Amino acid sequence: MLLTPPTLYFLALFVVPLLVLLLYSFYTYENFSFVSKLTLANYTQALTSPALRIFYFRTLKIALVVSITVVVVSYLFSHILMYVLPGAKRILYFLVLVSLFGGYLVRIYAWRTMLGRNGALNGLLISAHLTDHPLSFLLNSNFAIAVALLNFLIPLGVLPIFSAMQNISPRLLEAAQDLGASRLRTARTIVLPLTTRGIRAAFAFCFIATMAEWVTPQLLGGPLDQFVGNQILYEFGETLNWPLGAAIALTLIASVVAGLAILFALLRLVTR
Amino acid sequence: MTHRRSRLLRRGAGGRITASVYVALVLIFLFAPLVVVVLVSFSSTSNMNLSLSGFSIRWYQQIATDPLVVAAFGRTALAAIVTALISGVLGLTGALGAVRLTRRWRTAVFTVPLVPLAFPALLFGIGLATFYHAIGLGFSIWATIAGHVILALPFVFLVLGAALERFRFSLLEAARDLGAGSFTIFRTVTLPLLRPAILGAMFLSMAISVDEFVIAFFTAGSQQTLPLVLYGRINLGVNPGLNAIGSILLAVTMALAFLAARTSVLEIP
Repeated sequence: MLLTPPTLYFLALFVVPLLVLLLYSFYTYENFSFVSKLTLANYTQALTSPALRIFYFRTLKIALVVSITVVVVSYLFSHILMYVLPGAKRILYFLVLVSLFGGYLVRIYAWRTMLGRNGALNGLLISAHLTDHPLSFLLNSNFAIAVALLNFLIPLGVLPIFSAMQNISPRLLEAAQDLGASRLRTARTIVLPLTTRGIRAAFAFCFIATMAEWVTPQLLGGPLDQFVGNQILYEFGETLNWPLGAAIALTLIASVVAGLAILFALLRLVTR
Repeated sequence: MTHRRSRLLRRGAGGRITASVYVALVLIFLFAPLVVVVLVSFSSTSNMNLSLSGFSIRWYQQIATDPLVVAAFGRTALAAIVTALISGVLGLTGALGAVRLTRRWRTAVFTVPLVPLAFPALLFGIGLATFYHAIGLGFSIWATIAGHVILALPFVFLVLGAALERFRFSLLEAARDLGAGSFTIFRTVTLPLLRPAILGAMFLSMAISVDEFVIAFFTAGSQQTLPLVLYGRINLGVNPGLNAIGSILLAVTMALAFLAARTSVLEIP
């Protein structure tokens, strides 16, 4: 009985809205408005439009670069915390958690002021004589988008990977080293296989988050750096073609989830 | 044991220095934007290149007299408090319901609300917008709050779930054996034991609501919260007053997260 209120709330404000989104994705767009006449045209367009394909591939490229970088950086970071600097791991991990609460929009805005022509990074580069004129490719570029996403996602990568390492019994490592395994071999044959769940979680989270991102490209990218998310926003905000926007969004999430499932299944086959 | 372990894992000083440099670089990268926002917000000039020419609180004075910012601040506070209250009550009823379940069912009950955690805010945002459109409800701060509760619930359930793992169910039996009615047990045993976790979860919910942007963007309409005002002005161009708004948002979320960690003893390994 006590479980009823949270269950109802969850159904009414999470499940039902997504079902409504699904329903709207079948509506027909006519004269800058939409009517409840069911059609598959939105999905045909979402799947076959050559213009949209550019957005998909552009987003996919950055999502892969960002997710892989997050996993590598966070893995090394966690590994160092656990096994190289164990004395400082509590405080260092706490700092990472603190940075998580540093604000989403605020941080994107900060990168805008730091990477601009008159921003802090250019000032630093010029005073270090690494360049004699301000670099303009720092802002309104893929570079700026990737930097801001990494900044936001690395703490979220450290979280699952660090907790997976935390769960490895130190006795296992002792046993391996007593049996003569080198540090590198211990890291590769014991720690790595036992942390795959954490790595998978970190990768999946970053990949999904980047694939559906729109604020970062909007504020830090150039006109040719916009993501699928920006196109969805455009359909919702500008053309008022909500059905098409909904169809693109649902196609996106479905293919992202399917892609991740296939990727993880393949990895399991390869590493077995 | 610990002595032996530390010997086994000891490395050369060179390796430790390289490792420390790496950790320091990552942390500098993570904190750089936060430090810049706060520094520039206290700068007396309006340029952003960190050539701090003097300390001033003029940008804070500027936004304090800006009626739009003040109104948005009020709405953000309202959203945070109401989100915390609703998600606290829902979390508590869920936790109390889960207490009576077997361990396996309890795990299931605490896993489902975690879904929105990995679900893209963009999709949930447009989902809510279409939902409000379909039922003929306009956009408002209340529409946003309803969405914020969904985003806060995973954290509430995580914190309460951890508290229930430590919960000594034998105390409930003892109270019952001593003849206490179920309301008395709730008031004198269950609630006091869960109170720190509930308070912590509510602080966390507030932190999430204060900082939340995407759901508010799609559902708040003209009743803008602080992040929405920030977004609107970023699009108008760079302005140092924005750093003051950003710094306030930052300070509030961090303080709330800190309170959450203090009250609920969030497990930091």
